[in-house]
Amino acid sequence: MTKCILVVEDQADSRQIIRDMLAPTDYSIIEAENGEQALAAIAKQRPDLILMDIQLPIMDGYTATRRIKADPALQSIPIIAVTSYALDGEAKIAKATGCDDYVPKPYSPRELLAKIRQYLP
Amino acid sequence: MISRSAFDLRAVLQTLVESTARFCEADNATIVREKDGDFYAAEAYGYSREFMDYIKTIPIKAERGSASGRALLEGRVVHIADVKTDSEYALIEAQRLGDYRTILCVPMLREGVPIGVLILTRSEVQPFTDKQIELVTTFADQASIAIENVRLFDEIQDKSRQLEEASQHKSQFLANMSHELRTPLNAILGYTELMADGAYGEPSEKMLGMLKRLEANGKHLLGLINDVLDLSKIEAGQLILELSDYCIQDIAQTVRSTLEPFAADKKLGFKVEVAPQLPSGHGDGCRLTQVLINLVGNAIKFTDAGEVAIKAEANNGKFYVSVRDTGPGISAADHAKLFQEFQQADNAITRKKGGTGLGLAISKRIIEMHGGKIWVESQVGQGSTFAFTLPVVVERQVEAA
Repeated sequence: MTKCILVVEDQADSRQIIRDMLAPTDYSIIEAENGEQALAAIAKQRPDLILMDIQLPIMDGYTATRRIKADPALQSIPIIAVTSYALDGEAKIAKATGCDDYVPKPYSPRELLAKIRQYLP
Repeated sequence: MISRSAFDLRAVLQTLVESTARFCEADNATIVREKDGDFYAAEAYGYSREFMDYIKTIPIKAERGSASGRALLEGRVVHIADVKTDSEYALIEAQRLGDYRTILCVPMLREGVPIGVLILTRSEVQPFTDKQIELVTTFADQASIAIENVRLFDEIQDKSRQLEEASQHKSQFLANMSHELRTPLNAILGYTELMADGAYGEPSEKMLGMLKRLEANGKHLLGLINDVLDLSKIEAGQLILELSDYCIQDIAQTVRSTLEPFAADKKLGFKVEVAPQLPSGHGDGCRLTQVLINLVGNAIKFTDAGEVAIKAEANNGKFYVSVRDTGPGISAADHAKLFQEFQQADNAITRKKGGTGLGLAISKRIIEMHGGKIWVESQVGQGSTFAFTLPVVVERQVEAA
């Protein structure tokens, strides 16, 4: 069965890159531009993995992550934080918030895809 | 007389007023000093509460109607044997409440300008002697020094607070900028890699070459952004070492696997000489790796033939790590400059070899935060050795000087 990835990202270019990166793979993709849209999308269709940008309008990625991880039906969905907010300790904050992994921006699409494959072989 | 705060100052002036009154056999004494642009009586000795409540509300003007006003006006000692016979004296109510006859006012001067008045009064008509006036003058000088000290101290504190704020703003700005710069860079590097990987059709050999250069330039830009961010964090005191156990051998291997390909590209030898059975270190292994990558990266960048060698050993509870190259060498005059921000030995080299000139400044701060030292040994034509020592076990971060 096709595995579904939810991409939460407000930058059109970043969404395009992930779309192009996933095009040759078997993963399907749904997109959201902020935390609120992400929660709405999840309610409609449960994704198998979430790529979560952190700095987002309306509802940021950490808030969305906390909501998802607080829901017993959703908490097993792996969340990879993808953020350009690359300060010291950001990886720790991401983990503490409930993210399963952390990828700083700018990332290599090749490496990001390898990371996704770890969670969705 | 050293007083560091307004609170200290009041105590100092209070003591001074009392001593002056006692030494000069005055019944009462007070100090008039500036407050919000006007002069008011402040510290006092001997006067009734009623008098002080009254006098403290009256601004003393630099005019002839009062003895202290005259002292402010003329900037010199005013001595009135009996205020009741002084035709110009206008503080009738004050005189009635204070019940004084003889008054001595000595201005407290800063660079010739009165900043207050030391006032002594007697209930009987009994003029002060020259010796007493001289003594009061000395006390007045002491008072103005005390007031001036506090003013200067406040000024310095104010200035340093302003500087600190400015530096915080600068650091915040740099951090935001670095963050904002990463987002477009993500698009540049991301699309470049996807193109090179054929996501938009197989690129020609020539295009592949250009994409490689695009990627190299993008990564260089990322390096600059990271360096600027690191430096801004150091300056804002926000660079916190994450102390845990590390292994020097592992760090050297990480650096080798990261940079050996670059040395191979230039046909340079790459040696790692780590002494056997080094103790396990305690410090920020990630940051130390960053330092070593910087030193070895520089060595490779500036060396065109020969080899680059990492050496590590431990002695007396300290690690000694060095990076030796067979590059062009650096003149002694440039050694100190190397570790300052935005400095390289030779600007012409910068243009040719690139680099921010921030790497060594950052390395220096990281090593110093570990309580260590970093330096260079080099002569033109003799290659260079960059070396650092640091305690094997670092229990806590050393604050930057």
